[in-house]
Amino acid sequence: TLTQLEGRAIAENSMVVLLQGLQGEVTTVDLRNESTARGRVVNVDAFMNVRLEDVLYRDRRGKLTELQDLFITGRNVRYVHIPDHVDIMKTMQSQLAKIHRVRNFASHGGGRKEYELLDWSLELTHNTLFLFP
Amino acid sequence: MVLLKNLRPPTEGVRHEQAETSVVMDGHQVGCGTLYIAETRLSWFDGSGMGFSLEYPTIGLHAISRDVSAYPEEHLYVMVNGKLADENGTEMAERPANREEDDRSSSGGEDDDDEDGAITEVRFVPSDKVALESMFSAMCECQALHPDPEDDDSDNDFEGEEYDVEEAEAEHGHADIPTFYTSDEGLSALTQEGHATLERLEGMLAQSVAQQYHMAGVRTEEPSVEFEEGHGETGTAALTPSYLEERPRGTLQIFRAVSVCFVL
Repeated sequence: TLTQLEGRAIAENSMVVLLQGLQGEVTTVDLRNESTARGRVVNVDAFMNVRLEDVLYRDRRGKLTELQDLFITGRNVRYVHIPDHVDIMKTMQSQLAKIHRVRNFASHGGGRKEYELLDWSLELTHNTLFLFP
Repeated sequence: MVLLKNLRPPTEGVRHEQAETSVVMDGHQVGCGTLYIAETRLSWFDGSGMGFSLEYPTIGLHAISRDVSAYPEEHLYVMVNGKLADENGTEMAERPANREEDDRSSSGGEDDDDEDGAITEVRFVPSDKVALESMFSAMCECQALHPDPEDDDSDNDFEGEEYDVEEAEAEHGHADIPTFYTSDEGLSALTQEGHATLERLEGMLAQSVAQQYHMAGVRTEEPSVEFEEGHGETGTAALTPSYLEERPRGTLQIFRAVSVCFVL
C-alpha cells in the first residue's frame, strides 16, 4: 500500500502537485472518454484521482447530469483545466512548502535537506512549465 | 442481458456492505441484492448465490446521483471502462459501431474497449438513500488502493530518495547528519533568516579582531591579517586554534562551513 511518505514524494516530483493546489476551486475536468465534469475540487491524490463535488457532468453525447459527489480515476483524466485566476507558480510553491512543512515537522533538524529538495522541485517544475505554454 | 456468475461474497477487507440494493446495468434491471465494497473488488449478489464483480482498475469513475431528472432514484453511479463479459468471456452487450481504429478481435479485453471508449453504466440503487455517502466514500478509499500501474507519462517514476527520519536515525543513531559545504554552496543554501544569523555571528567575531582570547583551551597568538571580501575573515581567525594557523585558508573554509551548518 502506498504510504503517505511515498505519496508526498510522488506528488512533489510531478505536476500533480499543481492540481492538489486547486482544492476548493471550481474547474472542468476532461475525461479520456470525451466526457467532461465541472465542479469544485475536493481532493486530488498522488495518482491524479480527482474528487469533485456539486458537479455538472456532460457525457460524450452531450447529455447533462448533476452529480453530488464524483470520483474520477486518475487513469481516466485527460485534462484538468486551471482556472484563469490561479497563479500556477505560487500554487506549486505553496503546495511544495506544505509538503516540506509536514516533513520538517517530523524530522526535527533535517530541515536543510528539505530546502534543497524544495529548490530542486521548483526548478524542475518551473522548467517543465515551459513545455506547456 | 447480464449473465450472472456463481460467485461467493468476499469475506475480507469489506469496507462497506449494503443490502437491499438494486442494480441497473446499461439501462437493464438486474435484480435486488447486496453490494459489497471490498478492498480487492466491488461485487454484488442477488441472494441466491449469483452475482458479478467489478475490478477497480476497470472503473473509470463513480458518483452519487441525486438528479432525479437523469434517473428517477438517488443512486451510486459507476462507470466501467469497457463492456462486462459473461462466464464464456464473450461480451454481454453489443460493441459500439465505431471500431475502425481497433483491429484486435477480442472477447472482453478491457484495453480494447478502452480504445473504443465503450463503457458500461452501472447504477447501484440502495433502498436506504442515507447510505449513499458511506458507499461513495468506501469506493473512493478502495479505488485509491488500485493505482494505475502503467502510466502514460513516466513523470511519476520516483528514483530519488526521500529523506526518511526513521531510516536516518536507524543508520546513524541520531537525526542530525553533519556534512560540509564549501563556503559558496553553504551560503547559497541559506534562507534569509540564515543569512541574517550568519551576518550577526560574523559581526560578533569581527569585533574581537584586535584582542586575544583564551577560550576553553583554545589559545590564539596574533590574529591573522588575511582578509576576504566582506566576510570578516580576521574575526573567524580570532577563534582559530594556534596549531591550525599555519594553514589559515583551508582551515577558515572549514570553520565557515561549520558555522554555516550551525546556523542552518
